[in-house]
Amino acid sequence: MSQKQGSSNKVALRLALVAILTAVTVVFTMIVRIPTTKGYINLGDVAICFTAFTFGPWSAFIAGGLGTALADLISGYAQWAPISFIVHGVEALVIALLVRSRAGRDSAEAVVPLWRKILAGIAGMAIVAGGYFVGGGALISGFSVAAVEIPANLAQSGIGVVLGLAVSQAVRRAYPPVRSLSW
Amino acid sequence: MTTDTYVAGTGVLYRFDPRAKLLLMVLLCIWFFLPVSLAGAWLVVLGVIAAGVLSVGLRRMFRTFLTILPMLAFMILFIPFNVRSGEPLLVAGPVVLATREGLLQTLRLMSRFVGVTFVCALTIQSTPMGKIMLALRWYGLPYKASLVVSLAFRFIPFIADSFSQIKDSHRLRDPNIDEGKGRKGYRSKLGDMLPTLTSALVVSLRAVPSLAMSLEHRGFGLPGKRTSYHVLETSWRLFTDLFISTMIPVALWFLFAVR
Repeated sequence: MSQKQGSSNKVALRLALVAILTAVTVVFTMIVRIPTTKGYINLGDVAICFTAFTFGPWSAFIAGGLGTALADLISGYAQWAPISFIVHGVEALVIALLVRSRAGRDSAEAVVPLWRKILAGIAGMAIVAGGYFVGGGALISGFSVAAVEIPANLAQSGIGVVLGLAVSQAVRRAYPPVRSLSW
Repeated sequence: MTTDTYVAGTGVLYRFDPRAKLLLMVLLCIWFFLPVSLAGAWLVVLGVIAAGVLSVGLRRMFRTFLTILPMLAFMILFIPFNVRSGEPLLVAGPVVLATREGLLQTLRLMSRFVGVTFVCALTIQSTPMGKIMLALRWYGLPYKASLVVSLAFRFIPFIADSFSQIKDSHRLRDPNIDEGKGRKGYRSKLGDMLPTLTSALVVSLRAVPSLAMSLEHRGFGLPGKRTSYHVLETSWRLFTDLFISTMIPVALWFLFAVR
């Protein structure tokens, strides 16, 4: 196989991966819901955190941002789409950068300590709550209304971090080829 | 699960070029943030809603309104309490609950929120998603980005169906399936989801190598592209529609700007 064919294979594989992960994020945001006493929690943040913990920063940024923006467009919340793209894209990017192992993902030494994963999760939660407060407050509903949403955003992103981490570990065990897909 | 937001119709809005429609949507969204009179803002909101009722129907417009109703309720409840200066309107003993300035601020934010919501919803409901993608391509959206979005839309129904089947099969394995749904705790529900989410993700990720192979067979990444996007026609009609899209917000600005 020539070098050019090898690099085009990588491009095709990366594009396919990002497209599938984007679709997964849309599905998890729109149809996966857990009823609570106050309504529903969607699992979009689970998909975003799973992508960030399992794959690399760029897959996470594009799939997380684009997936949530598309979900907003399809669900009738188009005014939130640009804010969701930036907030969740940055959330995924920061989490993935914080848990990135220097040893490389295929290496047996690519074990990231739990405290770093927790720190990454907390950073992600802060980005989601802060991002929606600033974006929603400045552009959509005013800061007083945006402040009311902070606890719900923290709860949803917190569940996303916990479940995303658990699912990431489970998928790595169930489907080992996933380790070679990160970029 | 359907991702199709398009509502078929034949009105003026449907004959408008999608590129001009996107431009009008962006300019109107910007217009709502400009210093315009409150009456003017609400007039434009009512105009957009009227255009929507004539194009996609009252039922669709009402459904869009229902999606933003909770946010509107929050606005009415919380914004007035944060603007306490000015002429008091609602007083409870020594405490001023709402002022005239608070009410005006609430109405302004509501007009902006409702206006932007209906402008975006109307654009998406009156334009097929394929045409929106082609319009974005015309504006310069890169080929790879367009391909990612197109492929994502193609796979959403497949992943949604797989998820439903996996969820049902996992539920059938539950030894306590005959117990009432309300008895399970919140934590238990989340834990039950873990096998379902894992299986759904593995099924989705298995599609990645096949999709990559399909792209390579179509010459993706090699010189001399074999597939390309359809290009929207460029004619006098486009320039007319673009001109109208630009003039509408400019005219509204001159009519309702606060001087």
